[in-house]
Amino acid sequence: MNVIHTLHILNKTPEHPRFRECLGMLGPDDALALTENGVLALAGGQPFGLERVYALRTDLSARGLSATGATVQPIDYPDLVELTLEAKRVISW
Amino acid sequence: MGMLIVIDQPAYGTWAGREALDMAFSLAAFDQPVSLLFTGAGVSWLRKDQDPAGIDQKSVAKNLAAAPVFGIEAVMADRASCQRLGLDAGDMAAGVTLVDADAQLLSQFDQTAFSA
Repeated sequence: MNVIHTLHILNKTPEHPRFRECLGMLGPDDALALTENGVLALAGGQPFGLERVYALRTDLSARGLSATGATVQPIDYPDLVELTLEAKRVISW
Repeated sequence: MGMLIVIDQPAYGTWAGREALDMAFSLAAFDQPVSLLFTGAGVSWLRKDQDPAGIDQKSVAKNLAAAPVFGIEAVMADRASCQRLGLDAGDMAAGVTLVDADAQLLSQFDQTAFSA
């Protein structure tokens, strides 16, 4: 797996202006980690056009959601820490 | 015909929705006619099988299930918001009516207040 250029950690609901702003900044070698209300984006079922999209498992189950699409990988907090180490840059939205 | 409380904030990550629900329950406890409308990100309250133990919170769905006990007149969800957030009737908790949140709906209430 090639190195993550930027890891975007997105905790805003899809209705928040910063959610759209984040989606506009995604590059092809970036990864997206959905946390807190960011995971609500998976309910709408819109693709992100990214190979690596992750979602925190505890935040998914809290909201009755599952990462059904093969493109979204559920992760735990230790995985999120690994991702921040793997990425060259991190943006917390 | 009474008061409408609109919850347009997501179920977790903010307290605004819970505070609005508390207000609705208080009104109902004092025999004031009150109804609830979930719209926008607020429809995330209504999804079945919420398990927030992992984020150390209690299920808002269980909280909301007490609405009939308190005498809340109606629990409604905006149809378009549900569609946008991929929530169909099968995914939804029992006792929720699908409505169109428009001027006609709001005109049925003397007062309308939003969650902060």
